[in-house]
Amino acid sequence: MVRLENVGLRYGQGPEVLRDVSFALRRGDFRFLTGPSGAGKTSLLRLMFLALKPTRGLISLLGKDVATITRSDLPGLRRRIGVVFQEFRLLDHLTTYDNVALPLRVAGQREDNYRADVMELLSWVGLSEQATAYPPVLSGGEKQRAAIARAVITKPELLLADEPTGNVDPALGRRLLRLFMELNRMGTTVFIATHDTQLIDQARMPVLHLERGHIVEAA
Amino acid sequence: MNRHGPIIPPEAAPLKTLTVAMAIMCFLACLAIGALILINRAVDAWTGGLQSEVTVQIRQLSDARIEDEIAKAETLLKQTPGVVSTTVLDREAAAKLLEPWLGPIKELDELPIPRLIRVTINPAAPPSFDALNVALSKQVRGASLDTHQRWQTELTRMAGVLKYLSYAVLALIAISAIAIVIFATRTVLDANRDVVDVLHLVGARDGFIARQVQGRFLKTGLMAGCAGLLAGLMTFLLLGFSGSGPGSGGIAEASRSLLFAPVGISWRSYATLLAVPIVATLISVLTAKFTLMRMLHGEW
Repeated sequence: MVRLENVGLRYGQGPEVLRDVSFALRRGDFRFLTGPSGAGKTSLLRLMFLALKPTRGLISLLGKDVATITRSDLPGLRRRIGVVFQEFRLLDHLTTYDNVALPLRVAGQREDNYRADVMELLSWVGLSEQATAYPPVLSGGEKQRAAIARAVITKPELLLADEPTGNVDPALGRRLLRLFMELNRMGTTVFIATHDTQLIDQARMPVLHLERGHIVEAA
Repeated sequence: MNRHGPIIPPEAAPLKTLTVAMAIMCFLACLAIGALILINRAVDAWTGGLQSEVTVQIRQLSDARIEDEIAKAETLLKQTPGVVSTTVLDREAAAKLLEPWLGPIKELDELPIPRLIRVTINPAAPPSFDALNVALSKQVRGASLDTHQRWQTELTRMAGVLKYLSYAVLALIAISAIAIVIFATRTVLDANRDVVDVLHLVGARDGFIARQVQGRFLKTGLMAGCAGLLAGLMTFLLLGFSGSGPGSGGIAEASRSLLFAPVGISWRSYATLLAVPIVATLISVLTAKFTLMRMLHGEW
């Protein structure tokens, strides 16, 4: 599903933010990524959702070598990956409903076919009341839930999440973890970067630890 | 649940300025097209008149009676195949033709003013001008034939220059419009960089993103084209009904002829002018699409 071998990344002429990162995720894996702030977690995720190219090393994603991926392959690959951004990246001019439905709309699906699914998911993440609200009026936690709903609405093969429970209370954090585990049970490979040790303890899933751009241990 | 909102926020796109700039371009294009149509019509009218007419000039020679020479020339012309009719201009009429250069001539009798015979010919079967010239030289003293060839060449050359000038103006307007649309497209895309990034990350293809923006450029091009056309027609109308005295230079008559010519002639003018909003829309949409695809393609 995902394989990284000796991956390095630097921004421009700066120092390497990721060094010799190697690990693999098999289909149906559930893995956490931890490490202090600035360790390179977000950079690693950005490589994995094809927002960046590595400066060295090999990344194989959903059976494709990233180095050989052409521009026309990107949309198809990205539609198989769900991403929860740390800064949410919701579109402020679209309603919560429209934000969550965006990946389906982009994939050319008809609204009649997905309206019920989107509403059900919004209800699941506790946002059914906010379906017609715009992101600027949502709280941090609500934005985070909307971002999670957008990432999972297509039931992606690979889910990448950057601090998905950073802005929610422990009870809602547990509820969101259940959503991720449910998706995982349905076959989605889940990879979550987090500082939330409680979340990691509850899930009891393998953990990768990143320190100064390098994987130092796998627990 | 309401229908989907537009994926690219409408307020983030500065297309009002583009609409105004494009409308001005379309207005200028209408003026250039109007000028082109009038030049073409004027050239047709001039050359048509010149092709069906030649002039015989008879100079006053000291030892000849000019009236006798005019009579000989008239007789010769009437016998020449291809000549439809002849009109002899009297001394006063000939003097009138010289007025623009010499002013009012008081001592008409003292001046050796050449006399003119206007000869209407059949343009479909004109006489042999060389043979006629030779015959006139032999039989009529002081006679020469003017086929207006030099004037016709000069007029055609001048009209050609004006025509190419109009085409050049139209080409410059089109190039400027394309440059403005490219600039506006870049601005729209830059202003919505975050939206485009998110769209890419959720799997949007370049064509999908381009379509979200293109629709607005279609509307802009059409609106600007119609506004420019309307302003152009209003200008011709105002010029047509403005003063048509000697100082107007015939602009009023020309503008009126552009708008109110018989249907058989005017439909072409209107069709050409109606092409302005269509071309403006095409320029707007195609340039925006090409620019968007180029810009999006440059990203990973």
